[in-house]
Formats: sequence, C-alpha cells, structure tokens
Amino acid sequence: MARGELSGSLRRAIDLLGRAYCSPAVRFPNTIRHSRCLSTTTSRCAELTSETHEKFTAAPPIDFSKPDAGRPKTGKQLLRTLRVVPASPSYFSAKPTFNDDWVALTALLRKFATLPTVPLPEAPKVAWKTIDQYRIMTNEPVKTLRYHKMLHVLRRLNRIHSSLMPQEVLVAMQRYKKDTQPSDMRPNPVFVDEAGRAKGVGRRKTSSAVAWLVEGEGEVLINGKTLTDFFGRVHDRESAVWALKATQRLDKYNVFALVRGGGVTGQAEALTLAIAKALLVHEPALKPALRRAGTVTRDPRKVERKKTGHVKARKMPTWVKR
Amino acid sequence: MPPPSSCIRGLTRLRAAQPSIACRRTGDASIQTASFSTSSAHYAIVAKKKTISTPPPKRGTKTLNVKKGRKTGPVDTGKPPAVGERKAMRKRVVLSNNNALEVPSLVDLSEENVLDTKNQGLVRGIPEEAVDALRAVEAFKPRQGWSLFRRPAVLYRRETTELAQLAKGVEEGKKTERRIVTGSRMSGKSTLVLQGLLMAHLRGWAIINFPEAQDLVNAHTEYGPLPGSSPTQYTQDTYTANLLSQFLKANKHLISLPMTTSPTLPQPLPPRATLRHLLEIGITTPESSWPVFTSLWAELTQPGRPPIMLALDGLSHIMRNSEYLSADVKPIHAHDLTLVRHFVDHLSGKKTLPNGGMVLAATSSSNSPANPALEFSIQCAEARKMGAKETPMWNPYKVVDMRAMEALKNVDTLHLSGLTKEEARSIMEYYAESGMLRAKVDEGFVGERWSLAGMGNIGELERTSVRMRV
Repeated sequence: MARGELSGSLRRAIDLLGRAYCSPAVRFPNTIRHSRCLSTTTSRCAELTSETHEKFTAAPPIDFSKPDAGRPKTGKQLLRTLRVVPASPSYFSAKPTFNDDWVALTALLRKFATLPTVPLPEAPKVAWKTIDQYRIMTNEPVKTLRYHKMLHVLRRLNRIHSSLMPQEVLVAMQRYKKDTQPSDMRPNPVFVDEAGRAKGVGRRKTSSAVAWLVEGEGEVLINGKTLTDFFGRVHDRESAVWALKATQRLDKYNVFALVRGGGVTGQAEALTLAIAKALLVHEPALKPALRRAGTVTRDPRKVERKKTGHVKARKMPTWVKR
Repeated sequence: MPPPSSCIRGLTRLRAAQPSIACRRTGDASIQTASFSTSSAHYAIVAKKKTISTPPPKRGTKTLNVKKGRKTGPVDTGKPPAVGERKAMRKRVVLSNNNALEVPSLVDLSEENVLDTKNQGLVRGIPEEAVDALRAVEAFKPRQGWSLFRRPAVLYRRETTELAQLAKGVEEGKKTERRIVTGSRMSGKSTLVLQGLLMAHLRGWAIINFPEAQDLVNAHTEYGPLPGSSPTQYTQDTYTANLLSQFLKANKHLISLPMTTSPTLPQPLPPRATLRHLLEIGITTPESSWPVFTSLWAELTQPGRPPIMLALDGLSHIMRNSEYLSADVKPIHAHDLTLVRHFVDHLSGKKTLPNGGMVLAATSSSNSPANPALEFSIQCAEARKMGAKETPMWNPYKVVDMRAMEALKNVDTLHLSGLTKEEARSIMEYYAESGMLRAKVDEGFVGERWSLAGMGNIGELERTSVRMRV
C-alpha cells in the first residue's frame, strides 16, 4: 500500500510539474480490485503489514514523448485528466477492503445458499484469523462486531457439505484462515516396535521421563535401579507405576525407564505420565480408565517466578510502620 | 557568624527570656545554659538515660524478630532416663507379638529337616531352644520384623537352600565354605546369616557370631597389645570375654566336652576340666580371655569335633583402619586386632577349619563405610561366578586398602536377589495367617506387591504389606 501510494502521488506530482494544466490521466484498469494506490492517508501499520501485501499493480509509465506532452489541455481533455476513478467502489467508505470482503462473502453465500450443509460439530475444524490479525492484514479499523458477523458467514460457508464444496468457496475462505491450522499439528505416530516395546514420554515440573513398556512379569527398572532403590518413599513408588496399578496391569508389563532432572516427586510423577502413554500404545482402549486415574493430562504447574518488590513469587515484605 | 535573619530571631527570643542582652554572645548556644551557676555544667545536668533507638527497618527489608526473654514453653521436669536405658531400649529385641495370631500350619525346623530342599519356598518356625541360642549370639537384630509375629519364623528361600547345600557339603566332606553375603538394602542378608547360624546350631555345630563388626573397630571397647606379637597385635579383652559368654550360652551341647589339650593359662584348670571350665576362666577374668579363646579354638579344631560356623555382619568395617590408635598414635589396621584377624584368616582361606565349617560375612547397605577394596573384590567374585573371561579393572584413582584386597582375593559371594513370586506368595500367606495382613492374598495382589517391593525385596515387601497398614 505504501508503494501504491508513492507511485500514485509521484505520478500526479510529475503530471502537475510538467504542465500548466492537468493532462488527462490514464485510467487504471479495473482489474486491480484491492489495490489502494490512490489513498492519501499515511500508512499506519506499514511495517506490520510487510508479510500480507495486497495485490499491487504499478501505474503505467509516463510517456513524455507523447505529442501532447507540453501542450496545455483544454475542455474534455482537461476533465479526463482530473477524473481519478478509485479501484474499489467502496473506496470512499472508511474500510474499503473490509466492505469489499463483506460484499464478496455475502455474494458467495447467496450464490451457494442452497447447497446442503452439515451440522457445525461435523464441519471441518478451522482456526479463523483473529480480529487483530485481520486488522493488521487490511490495515483498517474494523469493528469487532462487524468482523464477528463476517465470521458467521464464513462458518456458514464452511458448513457446506464437503463433497459439494465449491472450489470458489475454498479459495475465498483461505484468506480468512490462520496460517497454521490446529489440524496441521499431528503427534508422531505411536507404535509397538519389533521387540514389543512401546515408548512413552512424560514430564512434570522440571523432570522428564522416558519409559519403555514390554509385556512381562511386573519388573520395573528406573535408570538401571529397582523401584525400591530409586524411590525411598513408598508413595513415590506407587505414583511412578500408578498407571499400571490403577488398571491392574502391574504384573502384565515390564518397565524400563530413564528419568532426568528435577526432584524425587517430580521424577515419580513424570514417570506416571510416561508409563501411562506407553501403556496407551499397547492398549488404546484404556484411555478413559487412565483419564479417570488422572494419568493422561500433563500437570502444567511449575515454579512461579519471583517478582521484584516481592520476597518470593507472591509474598510481600512485612508491613512496618514508617 | 550566623546569617543576619537567624541573628535577629535569636535576639528577639532572648529579649523575652532574659532582661539583659549584653552578656549574650550570639551564635553559641552551649554557653548560655546555667551561666550563673558556680558548679560545672556537668553536675547540673541530670544525665538522660541513654536509649538506643534504632529506626524501624525500611520497607522491603527482611528483619529477624527474635524476642529475648520470652518463655520457651513448659520446662520438662520429668526424670531423664537412667544411664544406658536409652541404649537398652534401642537395642531391645522383641521376638513375639501376643496380638498376632498363632499360625497353626507352621512347621518347626529340626535337626532332620533343616537341610532338606523340600523346605524351599515355605515359611518355617524356629524352635524355642534355637531361639535362645540365636538370641544369645545376637543373631536377631532390633529392627527386623520379629516383633510383628507370634514367634520367630523364617522363609526358606532359594538362597537358603543354596546355603543348606553348602552345609551338607561341609558335613560330608569336612570342607571350609567361605562366603560373602551380598545384596541390596533390606534384601535379607542378616537374616540369611541368621538362617546359617540356625542350620549350624540345629545340626550341632559350634557357632560363633560377631553380630556387628562395627563394635569391633569403633574403639568403644578396651584394647591392649598382645605380648610377644610382631608386628604388634591388639587384643580386646572385654569383647572377647563377652564373646566367650555368648559361646557358652549358645553352644550348650559342646560345653560339657572334656578338654583334650592342656593350655597354659593364668588360672589353672581343674582336673578333668571341660570346655565350660575353660570358658568360665575367660569370662570371669577378661585379661585371660584371649588365651582362653585360642585354647578354645584349639579344642574345637581337634579331630572328631563338630564343624564350626563363623559369622560376621557388616564386613566393610573390618576391611579398613580401625578407630584405635597405636602407641605412636598411628591408626591400627582392623586386621591387627586379634579377633578380626582370626576371622579374616578364616574368611580369606589362609587358615582352614580341620573339621569343616562355614565362614559367612554379610555386607551391610545401610551401615557401611565406603570401601573400594571390598566393592572391587565383590565385583571380581561375581565376575568369577558368572564365568567371565576378564576380571573387572580396578579404578587406579581410588585409594584401596591393600590388606583388604589381599584378604578378599578369592572369596566367593552369595548374592541375595529378590524373592520369586511363589516365595512372596508363601510369606504373604504367612502374614495373612498371622492376622497382620488383612487382604485377600491372590495372584494379582501378590504380583502388585512384588513389583512395588522392587521385584520381591523381602524387607520392602514386609514394610509395605505389614508395617504400613492403613
């Protein structure tokens, strides 16, 4: 947009310098729908929009060798020089891009309104751009409510049955989707390897554990030590193999695990998660049982940082008079 | 001179206080106090009590708030326990629990069945008479779980069978079996030594037990140089006398044997003396206890006498310098103590037992000083047992006691691993029958406890299923 502005004003300036009267301007072709080359406002977010530039077509070069280069224009010629037709019909609204988008989407919805739809939960999961991302992309002060209305339209379009989804709609929706979709993030596939081992990784506080589970007798080795040698507290031993104990699988599998970092409790609870994940590879149907046992979700709590002015993370210094 | 404004203010104030301004010198305030008194200003002024007034701490600073003179709770006016009472409580060995149920199916071990391999995996009771003997030699330790059950019983585990096989070999071939009992913490090393002593006692062997090797070397008992020894050795008379009295109580079947040798002792032996007379001399006069011990040993190794069981717990204590000091204030090596040397000579194979016997030395995991020599020797012994081609390399950066290395060069180990699931089930059924475990002992329960006890560590198994009942 900055480039568009510059080229437009430069062209006008040269036109005005070169002649006493304005010469007829060359009309821009109507194909540049989204370009806003003639905007006179300063670009506010020019540096932010470096990634998402609108389509841009440079103005045609000025031909000084034309016969009417130096001659003053009169009448109709002069009028043609003055008329500058904006690229978008909503140019003189405050939010031309948004309005154009809105018009285009509603037109699209009108066009495909009769196509069968699926209920919302069955529609493909899409992460739409947030209002802030959209504002940066368009460089326009779009109101939240307006944008939400547009999202309604987009969701409605997204609900069109996948087998009948027109290519046109897919292309149009692409503009409003986030760059990375949640469906793009796929966990690595889990499997039981040729030796019958299933691997699971778990973390808690600052500990991280890797556990390999094989079918066996209930033997547990952690960093090459037995459970009792590694954990002095009975509570820690139980929490390390809790996933197996809660599902009555303790005597069905052998565990080999490596734990690093953190303290004793953190290591035990990191092991809980690692063993649960490895167990889920062997028996995916145990997931609800393990969730009830509380071994599926990673505990995100960590040590809270200390703040300035506080004695600890939250503790304030003792109040003293004066 | 003060600035003019303050000067004027001073003058006006002065006029109000004093009629004359002439005698006043402006700007010097100290002079004007008591200007008409003849005594010096020093006496006139009543000295103000000096108070050290520290300003309150700034915000954000931590302050230590220690109030002096605050009463520190009610003073304990109770009588402190008498001398030695605390230690007696600590060392008390309780061998029965009247609240535990009698186990009707419990079969006692006896002279006939004690070496029987059919016992493997079963819990067997210790007969009354053997309990007394074992208690006399302090084979029961205070922190073991004897006080949880009606009467002492032991699990005849895989390693016990191994020990029984060794004992059979000793009886048949008059061999001297030497073993270091190793294993992880709470794996039952001391109990295995107890089982060895029990077997020996039931089979009519002579048993000598050093219940805690630490007591030999921590300089808590008196010592003195052995006359005529070079290099100097040291005897521990009180300890030896105590050992002799333990021998007297534990080996009742031997003490009526007649003396076959005539040792030269400080006190003369009566005619037709028996071992009891010999021992009594050693017990009553500790200074003659070491000669008595040597002559007792000479008696026991006479042909036709029973095999001997020598046992010691806490091996790493005697494989290093003791806490004793020599006359030139040098530490005495544990092997220079006569009793320790006697044991170590038999453990290392330097001396053999002519009538056969067994030398058992148990390591300890909870009370053992770092001992690289012992660790390395155990590693080598394990490697030898596994039939490894190469013995392990020793770490040249560790300070190793060479005398210990030499002594432990070719001693085998008896490693205690975890219980098998069958053994675990057997002992848990015993727990349940004693009423100390209120759970249904089935395969799942046993497997779970077996895993949680670190693959059948017996001490942990007892801890989690009997001691830590909810």
